[in-house]
Amino acid sequence: MSKSGFWHDVKKYRALLLMLAPAVLFFLLFAYVPMAGIVLAFKQYNYSDGIFASPWNGLNNFRFFFESGDAWRVTRNTALYNLAFILVNNLLQIVAAILLFEVAGKWFRKITQSILFLPYFISWVVVGAIAYNMFNYNVGTINVALEWLGFAKIDIYNTASYWPFILVAVTAWKALGYGTIMYLAAITSIDTEMYEAAEIDGANIFQRIFKITIPNLMPTLIILVLLAIGNIFRGDFGMFYNMIGNNSMLFSATDVIDTFVFRSLTTNNEIGMSAAAGFYQSILGFATILLANYAVRKYDKDRALF
Amino acid sequence: MKGSRKLASMMLVLVLALTMILSACGSKNDNAGTGSTAAPGENAGSTDKELKLKMVMLGGKPIDYDQVFGEINAKLKEKANATLDVEFLDWSDWATKYPLKFAAQENLDLIYAANWANYNDQATKGGFLELTEDMLKQHLPKTFEVMPQAAWDQAKVNGKIYMVPQNNDETIDKVVLIRQDLLEKYNLEPVTSPETFATYLKTIAANEPGVTAYGARPGDGWKWHEMDDMLLEQNNNWTVADLSVPLAFKTDDPNGELFTVYETPEFLELLKYYKDLADNGVWTKNVLSEKSDVWQDMLAGKVGARSHNIGTLGLNMVEGNKAGKFKFDVADITPDRYKLNALSTQNGMAVSATSKNVERSLMVIDLLQSDKELHDLMMYGIEGKHYIAVGDDKYKQGEAAPNYTGFSNWGFNSKLNRVDDSIPASAIAITDAWKDKVYHFPLETFVFDNSNVKNEVSNVGNVMLRYAIPLEYGLIDDLEKGRDELVKQLKAAGIDKIKEEMQKQINAALGK
Repeated sequence: MSKSGFWHDVKKYRALLLMLAPAVLFFLLFAYVPMAGIVLAFKQYNYSDGIFASPWNGLNNFRFFFESGDAWRVTRNTALYNLAFILVNNLLQIVAAILLFEVAGKWFRKITQSILFLPYFISWVVVGAIAYNMFNYNVGTINVALEWLGFAKIDIYNTASYWPFILVAVTAWKALGYGTIMYLAAITSIDTEMYEAAEIDGANIFQRIFKITIPNLMPTLIILVLLAIGNIFRGDFGMFYNMIGNNSMLFSATDVIDTFVFRSLTTNNEIGMSAAAGFYQSILGFATILLANYAVRKYDKDRALF
Repeated sequence: MKGSRKLASMMLVLVLALTMILSACGSKNDNAGTGSTAAPGENAGSTDKELKLKMVMLGGKPIDYDQVFGEINAKLKEKANATLDVEFLDWSDWATKYPLKFAAQENLDLIYAANWANYNDQATKGGFLELTEDMLKQHLPKTFEVMPQAAWDQAKVNGKIYMVPQNNDETIDKVVLIRQDLLEKYNLEPVTSPETFATYLKTIAANEPGVTAYGARPGDGWKWHEMDDMLLEQNNNWTVADLSVPLAFKTDDPNGELFTVYETPEFLELLKYYKDLADNGVWTKNVLSEKSDVWQDMLAGKVGARSHNIGTLGLNMVEGNKAGKFKFDVADITPDRYKLNALSTQNGMAVSATSKNVERSLMVIDLLQSDKELHDLMMYGIEGKHYIAVGDDKYKQGEAAPNYTGFSNWGFNSKLNRVDDSIPASAIAITDAWKDKVYHFPLETFVFDNSNVKNEVSNVGNVMLRYAIPLEYGLIDDLEKGRDELVKQLKAAGIDKIKEEMQKQINAALGK
């Protein structure tokens, strides 16, 4: 008992701690240290006084956001988009991973995996340009094809209602390969004896999938979803901005907190006001993750994050 | 056992976190300290030490940058023992990158500044170094001598000067660049009014497949229709006091009484004009998502008209006519209206608040504005290559002119500027006709200080982008309903508060 002091533990687990160090350092540098910048949300920032010495101005920086009348709309959009992303992406990724695991021969699996992974490396700027060339009214691929087939053209860039589907589809396409690999890794680590036993007992392929693979994927799924839920109030700015840009015809369905704030503040670039919006997102995200974790705990204590 | 392990790692994290935060604060303070001590006064006037000054310009890096700036630097080294290292912020995203230069407290010396690039705002926030009269007299003697006091006054923000403004008269009114060959092909009336311009545009849209009649790029986030300068402001003799909010006064109103432009019958009339153009396919249906460069498209024959100020379009015209593929011409579609002089702050050069080489930076500005040789190099490139000097005050474009253009060297505009000898008679006629029509009014130099209504200005900007832009580009079918919605949203965003604040400042400026 006397040997289990703090330093004893540090020494005993030094290899593990060392392995942990880069990750800890990363989060310290990029997540904890910048946290001090939260004060900016309550300050009238100017360059000469800097972050800590600029004068305080109370809740003034938050006013633009809540008085705009758009706060609710963009917050709702952000959360709904992220929920759709989480749902669709994870579903597709799990299906793809199971299919690859069950169906494929080694070569087929490798090649498919690489092809699925490819979109992950295409930047949103390029995806935005590709989308424009597909969807624009005059010379877009889709409209040219429709016209050639004798159908009426569709004005995608001026019709907000198409965009939730387009955005969800594009995100799913881009994230599919990455997630599939994660789930595939989780499936591969499932004890093969279970499958063998099931086969001997006469379980068919669907029974194996639903009784063994999926239950064993639950921990991975829960962790990934919990992590994603923490970011549910953060829109993927690169995606939204490159796909939509400043096309105000689409804002009603595509505006998320990040694009709204960017637009409001690029002209007067009030750093305090952007900090306030970021603060708002963090608070909401923090609350959601606590709630989600609490819910998971209720359901199954071992699977909660903390 | 398990508990203590968890505790151990938590402790480690905490300790590390605290040290990091503390050290971060410490170094931050150090930076602030050295920054403030490097204020003016040090190594005053001495040019013993060779300095490399960092300069930020807007626009794409010219192709012959190395050559021209090689020469400039050779001369500068001789005259001020300094050289320039220029960073270019491309036109496609300068609006985002420019403010970041200040926010990041980057170590810069010279930076292009302009009223349309948020000069006042950056100055209020402390992005630029304040230039006192003593500093100007001491380090900028030649420029100070010839710069009119009015130009300095216009450059003042809360009574302090933060930039060396341009020193030449420039009208800011917008005109249009059209394709003369198409005008002739379809036997159209000369373009001299909004109506004749509309006919020209609609004819192109109907008869020239593959050509977009009017090139506009609202996708860059500009909150007005690109014809608004001409058709809303100039045509009605209004002055929009600050482009970030839709408030204007009648240019000749001695009281400078503000009104919301969107609520006027003139605006509704203009909407009908725009709608007619849009319905006739004058601009593409997806105009809000388009991003390509209008002038390049026009040069390639893909766009039939654009609008801009006469200086830019004059140069476009020269470049385009020289390419020889099409015939370009400039036309004024609001010829009988007041013409307004640009504020001196339309272009200028500022010293960054982070600069450690204040004196030398000012010396360099002085040389580039007032030294004939250096000014010519900066503005026109290498003689015989990029331009051919015609006498002392005129020039012709040289072979390589397109390789040295397109960035904000206008920051050094001065009385030494040359006039393009090859600018065709039509453009010169326009500028000459304007000279008599330049209108001076008490609020000419009025600059709005938005610091009390920042929240409202942000929200109004958002409303303009979201509701006014689609309406003006003819994407909303019911104009009156669209206009009413726009006005309603504008009120909700706090336009009245801004109006009140601005009116107060206008009254103060008028001495009431």
